[in-house]
Parts: sequence; structure tokens; C-alpha cells
Amino acid sequence: MRFTRILGVLAAASALWSTPTRAADEIVVGFATAASGFMQAYDKPAQDAALIRIDEINKAGGLLGKKIKPVFADTKTDQAEGAKAGLAVLDQGAELVIVSCDYDFGAPAALQAQSAGKVSFFLCAESIKAGIPGVGPYSFSGSVLAAVQGATMAEWAYKKKNARSFYRLLDSWTVYNKGICDGFDWMMPHLKDSALAGSDTFKNDDASIASQITRIKSLPKEPDAIMLCTMMPGAVSAIKQIRAAGIKSMILNGSGVDGSYWLNAVPDLSNFYVPVQASIYGDDPNPKVTEFNKKYKDVTGGDPSSQYVYPGYVLIDVWAKAVERAKTTDTEAVVAELEKMNNEATLFGPRTFSKDLHHQNQGRYLIVDTEQGKPKVVDQWTISEKIPVDYLVSK
Amino acid sequence: MLQRPSVIWQTIATPVMLMVALLAIAALSYQFGSRAFNRTVVEMFINIMVVVGLYVFVGNSGLLSFGHISFMCLGAYMTAWLTIPPVMKSITLKGLPTWLLHTKLSMWVATPISGVFAALFALVVGRVIMRLSGIAASIATFGLLGVVNNVYSNWDSVTGGQGSIVGTPATMNVWNGWLGAAVAIAIAYLYSISRSGLALRAARDEAVAASASGIDIVRERLVAFVVSAFIIGLAGALYAHFLSIVNPGSFYLRTTFITLSMLVVGGMYSLSGAVAGVVVISALIEVFRDLEKGVSLGGLTIALPNGVQEIAIGIITIVILMYLPTGLTRNREFSWRGWPLQRHLAQPVQTALKELN
Amino acid sequence: MTELLQIVFDALSLGSLYALGALGIALIFGVMRLVNFAHGDFIAFCVFAMLWPSINAAAIVFAGNLPFYLLIPLLLLVGAALSVLSEVIVFRRFRNANPATMMIASFALGFAIRNFLLMMYSSRPKSITLWPRLSLPVEVLGARIPMLQVVTIIITLVVLAALTVFLKRTRYGLEMRAAADNFTMARMLGVRANGVILLAFAISGMLAAAIGLILATNSGTADIGMGANLMLIAFIATVIGGLGSVPGAVAAGFLIGGASVVFQATLPHDARVFRDAFVYGAVIVVLLVRPQGLFAPKSAKQRV
Repeated sequence: MRFTRILGVLAAASALWSTPTRAADEIVVGFATAASGFMQAYDKPAQDAALIRIDEINKAGGLLGKKIKPVFADTKTDQAEGAKAGLAVLDQGAELVIVSCDYDFGAPAALQAQSAGKVSFFLCAESIKAGIPGVGPYSFSGSVLAAVQGATMAEWAYKKKNARSFYRLLDSWTVYNKGICDGFDWMMPHLKDSALAGSDTFKNDDASIASQITRIKSLPKEPDAIMLCTMMPGAVSAIKQIRAAGIKSMILNGSGVDGSYWLNAVPDLSNFYVPVQASIYGDDPNPKVTEFNKKYKDVTGGDPSSQYVYPGYVLIDVWAKAVERAKTTDTEAVVAELEKMNNEATLFGPRTFSKDLHHQNQGRYLIVDTEQGKPKVVDQWTISEKIPVDYLVSK
Repeated sequence: MLQRPSVIWQTIATPVMLMVALLAIAALSYQFGSRAFNRTVVEMFINIMVVVGLYVFVGNSGLLSFGHISFMCLGAYMTAWLTIPPVMKSITLKGLPTWLLHTKLSMWVATPISGVFAALFALVVGRVIMRLSGIAASIATFGLLGVVNNVYSNWDSVTGGQGSIVGTPATMNVWNGWLGAAVAIAIAYLYSISRSGLALRAARDEAVAASASGIDIVRERLVAFVVSAFIIGLAGALYAHFLSIVNPGSFYLRTTFITLSMLVVGGMYSLSGAVAGVVVISALIEVFRDLEKGVSLGGLTIALPNGVQEIAIGIITIVILMYLPTGLTRNREFSWRGWPLQRHLAQPVQTALKELN
Repeated sequence: MTELLQIVFDALSLGSLYALGALGIALIFGVMRLVNFAHGDFIAFCVFAMLWPSINAAAIVFAGNLPFYLLIPLLLLVGAALSVLSEVIVFRRFRNANPATMMIASFALGFAIRNFLLMMYSSRPKSITLWPRLSLPVEVLGARIPMLQVVTIIITLVVLAALTVFLKRTRYGLEMRAAADNFTMARMLGVRANGVILLAFAISGMLAAAIGLILATNSGTADIGMGANLMLIAFIATVIGGLGSVPGAVAAGFLIGGASVVFQATLPHDARVFRDAFVYGAVIVVLLVRPQGLFAPKSAKQRV
């Protein structure tokens, strides 16, 4: 039968692939990320930032005196293929496996790394699962938990903008969105005299959220702030419809809507607030961030499209520091050094890891206010209390 | 009176050949393949189980079903509930009943239970849906897929919602995979030579005449629905063990259409077609993925641009169907040329009166 | 009263979008017994036709900058051309194949188109600004509706009226209805098969472009998955409406839109995430009660 022959040929061909020999003076870092499929748009920017950091380290003399060598395997935005990509980079000798920006798509490769006893880092996953609960004790994430974004916006609006009535509008499409609203829910009881004016849900690809808007409009008083837990692409449509209906409340968001590339679709958007780890708009309080943005543009040919570029840089930064401190790439030692990090300064905000949490349940966020369609950093906020891990895991 | 050879003796060449061919693939892969290649082969075996399950219903009844992947979802989640260590379950899946939270079974026990769970669900739902015919039935199964997907994506306390639940032991290898595929093929074969299978095929070809001959079409369809759900439930369970994480998104439209494509490309009305379709399409996908990774010829690496694999598979599917509209096997079954008194499993009859829906 | 009116308008506007989608699917199904699963991807293709291929986050709009009296006909032409091309290159070979094969072929075509768009434009949604003034609300009897929704409802009604006139009064319409009723007989009586089918595909393609324009104006973004959800609902609406019945498909589209809005407005808060499950459940119930569809044409009834 012809197909058995095809498979036989394939099997033989795969046997002929030899594992490339690993040079003794190199540390291999494996990127098991999406180079095609819909995750590519989210993985590539963070991956480019990670490669910039690797380049910086190599130019400064390398890690433990050795050059870092990046190797790549495409997950094709497919879970089964992701596991194979993880195996592929591990077979090339990777000491660190970097996986996709999303827990569901990064976990298969991360699980392979975990079984092989290697450290894995999620490029920018913001779910509590991207770490110990969802993979294992050697897994970390380079970004900040989605819940922190919701909690940050609620506390900032309460303290700085005197918002007292909040409306919670959740896009039930992804776990990320639910994470933002979980953080919001946790923060609300901590804000005295604040009240939840109402709550509703919609789905990202709904052609119209008219009924949800009707509910908001029929409240006796317009809420001070609407906590909008959503992400691209449906966020644009929702925001358009909210403003078109004449609702003037503050709109509070997660970082998922960061970026100016979509602002054309909602002309003269105002009273719109987004938390970011650092500013892509050139007005970050830290001049080194603006320098990085320029370097990013030189290397990739375009400005950073959103703040999700930055966690890629941060993860290489903290991992390299841990390796330097542990003086080895041995997994247990590196993990121990990472877990010692408390408010470790990085270019894009402090990072803290511990034995119980390999993610950030508190973070310094810059608040970007969009007025008349122009985004601008107006403030900076860190939530007053860390969000408890048990609360997040149980959600 | 001359003893006529039994149906089994006449037709057993087909499933035996299929199982042997798959065993050869498993052995070759185990011996020579890289770890990643072995995973590809396991995935192929699981797809074979799904498509064979689809064949049991679609091939025998002639009704296209878009909802069977919901059984895969049910099977996968049931296995996850039964095999994830209780410590992990208690944190994330608080809505589960206590006895389920404390259970931890091995893959060998949990998998048949998941299959039975899917089959029971199919029994309940099928009693309602199987009365429909033609495209109405197909849309109803589509509705079933939508309902199951929506419920599993949002019932956070029991299914973990859209987030993946992790912890199913990764116990799959090519031999387990082959065993699963062999079991699926065996069940499908036994069903198709059974009285119920024959009756359903008669109804498929000529519903009015079959009904006039005393066949209870609804009942036979229900039997096929339940058997196919069992097989696909088993496949779902093995898939959970393969990936170690389960997520409702993997059991929705994309998987539905890919498995249906594999069935139609292979030959909708034959068991060999189901297996052949999966093997050929899996091989083609693998070839294109390797081409995307790059082939070194001498010092040069030639690689297709990323993303070409999916486009190529779409185009190739169309081309195959253009020239072979009844599929690769043309609805015939494989058999061994030298097999004594061989008889093919019946092909669909070309009827004079075409059903108007 | 205002609230009820608001719900009615919301239902009408969502329903008209679904109805337009169902029209596109029903037309082709009527003449060819083919469910065109690539319809959603035609919609996305028409929207992306306005942008220059680029994987950057910001869209490079080229055709989208044209004034409306050039842009709309251009896009309608693109939609018709894509649809007709698919017919000539792909679907023509499947005229006599069984329905399952045709369905899978159309799905494979849609799959190829979608991944082609993915390769050219990447999956990040691109922003398009089309006629932002259409998003401003209009007050009708106390209910507030964005002008775009009113425009959608009006367009749907106009298209429906035009199509009805076309099908009932013109010669080509008569040929299409004859072909939908009994293709072989129609050919024997002199109806040119290719002509009728090409016409159906062209109209369906134009409808896809219209839907694409409405979706893009409403959401302000161009996204690969645009139209996928709509296509599914349109497919279901076509079947519930009664296969082969164009007015039935439209009515079913309005019904499903209405059901979705009503469920969203009336379900208790915790059950609202399960809205889609309720809608699909309602679809199954409708099918059980009337399996041939709500407005099944007489030809669908079996004689035996």
C-alpha cells in the first residue's frame, strides 16, 4: 500500500536526522513558540525582545563565559505540535525552554521541559496556571498575572479618580479575560463605600452588544467606571458601541487592549485607561525604556505594537541573572536562585518569585490614559496588597 | 447441504490487514523514529479511532454528523476527572462530587468507563435526535456540538472552563495507541457485519424499501450512534492521556472538520477508507511540516514559508476529491488477493429515486 | 415600553445581519445543493481586500481610503469575483458529487483561504476606520439605535425586496427558481446550468462583501475570524428556514437573531454565559417539531 511506503520513507528519513552536536562553549536556549497560526502575532514580538536581550548578553561577554545560542521549533499554534516542538528543542540540548504567550498553547511544550527536568518560561502568559499549578516546579512566566491588572485598575480608579460605582462587563471568551475580572472581584471588597452597580457578560465575536448596553443605560445613574474585561479583536467593537451609546463612564481595561494601532476605529476616544508594564508611546518615566523601543525598531523594523513585547526581554534578563548567581545552568540551582528574587529590578518593573509562586501577583503598572484618541502615561500604581495565590488557583 | 462460509470468514481479511499494517507502522516508528515522530504516530492512531467511530455512524447511516466530536470531549473530560491526582482536582475543580474528587484510576480502567459515559449520553440524546433525517439530523448534531462546547467552556467549577485542566498522566505510547486503533477497528468491523449494521446500510441505500421490509430505522440509527459514541469516547480518553491537558477548544469546529475531511477523503462508506484517509492526510501533513522546517541538500537549506502547510493540505484535499469524489478507496474495502472465497463488504447502491434532502 | 422597543430593534439588527448571511448560503444551496462553508472566509477576504498585505500591527489601508461610491462597488465586485472564481475552479467539478464531498471541498477551500489570509496579514486584528459617523445613535420612539444598525436593517429589507422582485419577475430569476426546484428538468427545458449557477455565486459573493462591509464598519477591525461565527448561524438558519426556500432562510435568520437577543436580555446573570447553549437547544427543538424547516417549499415534501 502506497501510504505505508510513504510512512516507511518518513520513518527512515527521521532516523537519518542526527542530533546536531552541541558545542561545549555554548548554552542553548530553546524557543518552542508559534511561527505560524494565530499565536504567531503574539509570540513573535515577545520573542524578538528576548532575542535582543540574548544579543546584549552575548555582546557583553556571554553567560558564564559562554555564548547563548537560540534554537527554534514551530508549534504552529497546535497543542499536539507544541509538545513535539518542546521535544525538538530539548533534543538540541536546550537548558531553558521558552514557550508560547498563552497557557493553553504553551503548556504542552512546558510539560515536556518539566518531564525532562529543564526550566520552562512562558513568554507572556498571564494565567495563574502558567507556572507551578499548571506545569510544575520548574516553570515560570515572564509577565504579570491578569488579576493584578483588574485589581490595579479598580484600586487606582477608586483612590485617584474617586470612582465609587463600578460596572463589571466580562467577555467570557478566554481565561485571560476572566482573570482580569477575578482580580477586580477580589479588590472590590477592599474598597470601602464602593458598590457594584451591575454586571454582565458578552462574547468577543458577538456582532452587537446592544442588549448589554441597554442594561447599562437603564441604570438609575451612570456608573463611575466600567471594568471591561476583554481583549482583541472584540474589544474594539465593544468600546465603539459603548461610546456610541453615549455612555461617558471611565472605561478601565486590562493590558490586552494596549496599543495605538486600533485607536483609529474609535475616533476621539477619551476617559479610557489601560495598565501597562512600560510605555510603548515614548513617554515612559524611565529613559532606558524609550532607548529599548528604539533598539527594537532598529532590529525588527517596527515600533513595539503593545506592551506584550517587554516580558520577553524580562524573562531572559531574570533567567540569566539566576544562572550567573547559581554559577551553573543546573535546573535545581537556577530555580533556587529565581525563587530568591524579591523585587528584583528589571527594565520593565520589579519581579518577585517564591517557592509558592513563579508569577507576579503584584506589579508596578503605569496607567495610560487615552484622551481624544491620544494615549499618554499619567500615573503609576502598585496594588497595596498581593493577591493571594489560593484565591487565584481556586478560580 | 453445502456449508456456506460465514460472513466473518469471508470478510475478516479487511480488519486483519488494517491492524497488521498499523502494527507495522507502530513498530517502525518505535524502532527508528525520534520521540517527536512517535508522538505524531500516536496522534495518528487517535485520529484513526475518531474517524473509524465517525464511519460507524456516518458510513452506515449515510447521515453526516457534525456533533460526534462532542463525545470525544465527554470522554476526555471523564478520563481527566478519573485520573488526575485528587490533590490537583480539589483545588481547581471544586464543583465535582466528593467521591469523584477522591478517585484516582489507572488509564486501563478509566478509558472504558469514559467510553461508556459517552455512549450513555449518546443513548439519551440519540433517542431524541435520531428521529430526524437527512440534513435536519446533521444540523441537530451540530446543535449538540454547540451545546456541549458551550457548557464545557463555561461550567468552570466542574470542567475548569476554557482553561485547560492539567494532570492527566501521560501514559500514551505507540503501542497503547495501536491497541486503541485496533480495538476501534474491531468494534467497527463487528458492528458492520452484524444484523443491525446490515439493516442500517439497507436503510441508507433505500429508506422506503427498508422500512417496508420491517426495519426500524430509528432504532438502528440509535444503535450506530451509541456504538460510534463509545469508540469516540475511548479516543477522547486516550487523547487526554496523550496531551496531558484537556481544553474544550480542541473538541470543537476545527477537529470536527478535519476528521470529517479525513473520512470523506478516504472513502466515507468503507472502514478501510476511514483508516486510509487518516493515514494519507497525516502523512501529507507531516511531509509539509518537515518541508517547512527545512530540508538540507548539500550546504543549502530549502524551507517552505511558515503557514504553507495548511494551505497545501486544503488544496490537496480539493484535488483528491476532484479526481476521486468517492474517496481514495472508492468505497471498497481492502482484502487479500489470495484469501479464499473473498467477498467485499457491500458498496452503497446507486438508487434510481434520489432522496430530495 | 422603551425597553421592549430597544430589545425589538436589537433583535432586528442582529437578525438582519444573520439574515443576509443566510441569504448568501441559501441562494447557492438552492441551485446546487451545496452548503458553502467557505462563505465566512469570503467575507473575511472581502474585508482584507481593503488593506495592503502586511504583518505589522497597523493596517496599511489602500482601497479602504476610497470614497464610498467607489469603495462599495469595488468590494461588491471583489466579492462576486472571488465567488465566481471558486465556482469555476473548484465547485464546477463537484456538480455531481454527493453532498458530503461538496461540503468537505467547500470547507477545504475556506480553510485554504483563511490560512492564506493568515500568512499574508498575521492574526493580529487590524483597525479600519470606515464612516465613523454611522456609529452615532439615532433616537427612534425613545429607543436609541446606532445609525449603522438602522442602515443594516434597511439594507437587508432592500436586498430582500430586490431579490424577490428579481426571482419572481425577471427571466433569470425564473430560471434560478426552476433550477432550484428540479435542476435536471430545468436543463432539459433550456435553462443554461452554468449561467444560473454563476449568477447565484455572483450574488452570494456580493452579499458576502456587503456583510463584510457592515461587520468592518461595526467593529472597526479586520480580523481573520470575521464571518466564521456568522457563517455557522447562517448555515443553521438556512436549514431551519427550510432548505431551498430563500424567504425561509431570511425569516430563520431574523428568528435566531431575535432568540439570541431575547436570551441575553432575559436570562439570569449566572446563566448568561450559557446563552449559546440555549440558542442551540432551541434550534434542536425547532428541528424536532418541524424537521423540514419552517417554510419548506413544496418540492421538499416526499411523495412516498
